[in-house]
Amino acid sequence: MRTKTVTTYLSKAYRRFALHILDIPSRLLALLLIVLFLTIPGILPSSKIMSYLLSVLITASVMAIFASSWDLLVGRCGQISLGHAIFYGLGAYTTALLFKHYGLPPWVGIPISVLIAAAISLPIGFPALRVKGPYLALVSLAFPLIATSIVFATKGITGGENGLPISVAGRFFQLTNIHNLRIAEYYLTFLLLLVSAIIIHKIANSDTGVVFVSILDDEMASKACGINVTRYKLMAFAISAVFASLAGGVNVHLLLSASHSDFSLTLSFFAVIMTVLGGMGTIYGAIVGAYIIYFLDMYFLRMVVEIPDVWHILIFIVPVIILVIKWPRGVARFVTDKLEDLSEERPLEERGKWIWKKYRRKKKSANED
Amino acid sequence: MHLLEVENLTKRFGGLTAVNNVSFHIDEGEIVGLIGPNGAGKTTMFNLITGFLKADSGTVKLRGENILGLAPHKIVNKGLARTFQVVRPFRHLPTIANVLVALKSPRGSDKIEWIKTRQRKALELLEDVGLSEMMMEPAEILAHGDLKRLEIARALGTNPDLLLLDEPFAGLNPIETDLLTKSLQTINLDGHTMVIVEHKLHALMKLAKRVLVLHYGEKIAEGRPEEITKNKKVIEVYMGKEK
Repeated sequence: MRTKTVTTYLSKAYRRFALHILDIPSRLLALLLIVLFLTIPGILPSSKIMSYLLSVLITASVMAIFASSWDLLVGRCGQISLGHAIFYGLGAYTTALLFKHYGLPPWVGIPISVLIAAAISLPIGFPALRVKGPYLALVSLAFPLIATSIVFATKGITGGENGLPISVAGRFFQLTNIHNLRIAEYYLTFLLLLVSAIIIHKIANSDTGVVFVSILDDEMASKACGINVTRYKLMAFAISAVFASLAGGVNVHLLLSASHSDFSLTLSFFAVIMTVLGGMGTIYGAIVGAYIIYFLDMYFLRMVVEIPDVWHILIFIVPVIILVIKWPRGVARFVTDKLEDLSEERPLEERGKWIWKKYRRKKKSANED
Repeated sequence: MHLLEVENLTKRFGGLTAVNNVSFHIDEGEIVGLIGPNGAGKTTMFNLITGFLKADSGTVKLRGENILGLAPHKIVNKGLARTFQVVRPFRHLPTIANVLVALKSPRGSDKIEWIKTRQRKALELLEDVGLSEMMMEPAEILAHGDLKRLEIARALGTNPDLLLLDEPFAGLNPIETDLLTKSLQTINLDGHTMVIVEHKLHALMKLAKRVLVLHYGEKIAEGRPEEITKNKKVIEVYMGKEK
């Protein structure tokens, strides 16, 4: 009797899995990639170059969280922010200060600094209620500059241009073997990325996420629908700040220091480049973009072809411009679109829906019943 | 008590008085037509009532409560929704999601019984205006006539007591016009009072029991459709003076 219920439960679970993941080529690809990323690093041989490769992937995961938080705010809600590093830096400095002065372990310090950043995001989001589009972009540029000035002005607390180093005790794992440490950190950041990505994706595809897109499309029509646009914009800022500051806080405990470069313009633009490369408004595109950019930047250009760092941005900008002209919808979306076109059983009119696949599936399962 | 009571409403844009001291009222269950030549101030009137523009003076009362000066979304949540003359769909969202946005508003979600999901309610609203077949299409590929109907479904999503329709028939062919007339009648029977701004008098006269005429921001006539079509002043405004 008992085994029977277990098997029915399992077969039900499998049917769900088949319908929601195996049946959709792009999701199947995502699943394969996740499995690949979960297995390969664990079986890599221990060597210096492999440890370095792992640290590249660690940074890529952290930046992917950062970029996907930007995508939720800008790609979905349309609140163009070019100073998104403000939240990253806030997360980094609060985490570092909490560890330095109160000795809070990362598991406690990071959640607290995330909450602080979310609270500070409300006054930062305030201009978004007054100005729109390019003007908001200009205003948002100012915030990281203000933060950088504060860091330089309060040298006693923040360390100024020297940054704010923390002791080795601040590592996530106390492992002496550097390769094992990297592997542990890799899995930690990758799982964090998975969890954040799923949460952001769920939010983006919920009814609240639909309201975000409505604000991006037509704010006035949103108001005419009875939507309190102010509330939703601030909500988007707060959610975005949570994940951006999470990335910043995690990075402090990986690099063992917070520095003013956490507020830098380059960092903000990296979020833009990664998301646009992957595909704006998709969330998963930001993650794909982050991995591509970091792998090319930190591994291919630095280790394989050995081009000095100063040239990297210059080398990136050209292909990114070409990509944006050629595939404005992003690399990731291009791939998923192609995959969907390949699967023949799907009727033509159901192809290329990038938002809200939920409904397509509902309709499909309704047709089957 | 009247459902909507507008008293001495005035709006000036610099030297131009777009709406000049207009008073009228709407009763529960009515369909009222609002006509007038281009530039008469009809859309401005809608914008004033729904809070998208600030009035210079006057009062607007919904069920006796003054709503003038409230934010647009608050007015919607008090039960006064509108559509736009130029369609404003959420282009990136599927048709059904357009309606869902309205159902996400406090007033829209209030009306959803616990057993009905938002999605089902949205589908019902699309069925009411005959758009359920297009539910999965992104709004940007819909034809103009469909978008006009989508506007109405979206406004209905907020469950309005009073619905202000800004030229719902503009750009529709005769068949679409007939279909929309029928859906509007059904919607009215469901308990939604309506004010319709329209240039297609033929379609309007079938629906409206009472017609207001605006000219240069002033109310020049009010009455039953057949009275209005014979009103000398109205004919003068539309056709010009007889010599």
